[in-house]
Amino acid sequence: MPEPAIRVRDLVKRYSRRGQPSVRAIDGLTFDVARGSIFGLLGPNGAGKTTLLRILSTLARPTAGEARVLGHDVTAAPLDVRRRISVVVQETAVELFLTVRDNLGTFARFHGVPTREIRARAQRVLDDLELAPEAHRKVMDLSGGFRRRVQIAKVFMVETPVVFLDEFSTGMDPILKRRVMDKLRREAAGGRTIVLTTQILSEVEELCDDILILNRGRQAARGDLQTLKLLSHGVYEITITFERLPPGIEEELAARHPIRLAITQNTIDVTLKDDDGGILDVVGALAARGRVLRLEVGGASLEDIFVELTKERGELP
Amino acid sequence: MSALSAVMYREGKIRATNALFIFWDVVYPLGYLLVFGVGMNKALAFTGLSVDYDAFFLAGVLGMAGFGIASNTAWSFFMDRDNGIFYEMLTYPISRAEYLVGKVLFNVAIGLVQAFVTVVLARVALGVPLRPAGFPLLAAAVVVGTAGWFFFYAIFALSIRRNDAFNTVTSIFYFVFLFASSMFYPIDPLPAAFRDVALANPITWHVDVMRFATIGQGDPQRIALEAAGFVVFTTISFGGALHVLQREGN
Repeated sequence: MPEPAIRVRDLVKRYSRRGQPSVRAIDGLTFDVARGSIFGLLGPNGAGKTTLLRILSTLARPTAGEARVLGHDVTAAPLDVRRRISVVVQETAVELFLTVRDNLGTFARFHGVPTREIRARAQRVLDDLELAPEAHRKVMDLSGGFRRRVQIAKVFMVETPVVFLDEFSTGMDPILKRRVMDKLRREAAGGRTIVLTTQILSEVEELCDDILILNRGRQAARGDLQTLKLLSHGVYEITITFERLPPGIEEELAARHPIRLAITQNTIDVTLKDDDGGILDVVGALAARGRVLRLEVGGASLEDIFVELTKERGELP
Repeated sequence: MSALSAVMYREGKIRATNALFIFWDVVYPLGYLLVFGVGMNKALAFTGLSVDYDAFFLAGVLGMAGFGIASNTAWSFFMDRDNGIFYEMLTYPISRAEYLVGKVLFNVAIGLVQAFVTVVLARVALGVPLRPAGFPLLAAAVVVGTAGWFFFYAIFALSIRRNDAFNTVTSIFYFVFLFASSMFYPIDPLPAAFRDVALANPITWHVDVMRFATIGQGDPQRIALEAAGFVVFTTISFGGALHVLQREGN
């Protein structure tokens, strides 16, 4: 069996600050990432996603445990790891004083792309990401969205087998985001392993083969989308649009301790947990409160699972 | 392309986008030589010197140039941080040592060009009597000097997160290192305490070596000791900068 692209065992990262108790940003994580997969790291702010990515990309050293990228230990052989990865960090990272084309060229040179190939590759990437009209402009003259696009474009200049993307879609318009996501799918199909963090759950639903939900530095859940949805057995999303919102219905729903409740005009979006199979009775009772224009009942979305899992403390099944 | 040449290429690309900055690095020490040096030479009678002040000050100008180029190069870490590229670069397939050395190499080349222009100007415009046999030593002193001061400054540029705080530190260093040294005047006639500080100052070692290389002034044994001292200073500074860089993010 081939070595996984990423292998993490009992990983701990503790931050100590003078005069303050130490913080366990990563608290005993163990997981593997298969080669050629798109692996999504999900979690609320401060869950440890970026810290984990920093360790895997050799930017930070773990306090304890082991992390390997394509068999190379991130602590003992960081340079071997760096030869196999390319990284999009969370902050915009571009050479502001260089042109778009020079940004791509400089990045490629660092990754050992032969000089004679750089121009052709750059042109392909510029065309793919609709950056060609800006190729000769200095990045400092571009908007934030374009700067992010340049940053993403760099990872397509090289063929590192592992790519780390920390909230890659920040500042991207929907059309470009779709284009990048398609490109990432193609890269993964070609054998590249993509590890991404995001707060946007639809990206994970659309892209990821394998998902790890982190909470307070620990694994809250792990698996593909369907497996995670099994975790939410008994969780239902109900959408009801009334002709007129019945009085007191918000209090009535709140009394049922919903996972999520949103009321917009005369439409109610509510996520309820019901393990006893009585969800239709609940729906019937709600529908009887007024004239219903639209009614939908569905299984839980990834967002519901995420909210459910990360609001609780400690490790969940 | 090797890791070192990739870092050097990047540094060159960025520096080339601001030719004025390179021009300033090369030219401002010449201003010191032609304005301050000539003025001092004419206005004051330096009876204690066996050579013209122009000739004496030449090594000081060369030392000042290397010191300035080194501090500007170290300051560029802040620019890299502001651009966000700093942490991304730490994930590139280069070692931290290659990052440091590559960053200074291009600027060492500027230092050599600056030294060449300064020496030619001193000879042609001011008639400073030069010692061609000392030129290889001068080149070595420019290279090691620029690198040594860069590594020294890098320790602070990498440790201090605020640009304004770093600027304060460099201003203090400029004042202490440059004036408590043999850069502007001979240190032997100075009060004992002042002289002791100057003797312990790596700028003095660096400038004395270059003074010996350019005009042959100085006791060869003491110069050898100062040269060795500066190499040790550079090695320790490199180790310190590397340590701070390796600690980044931890």
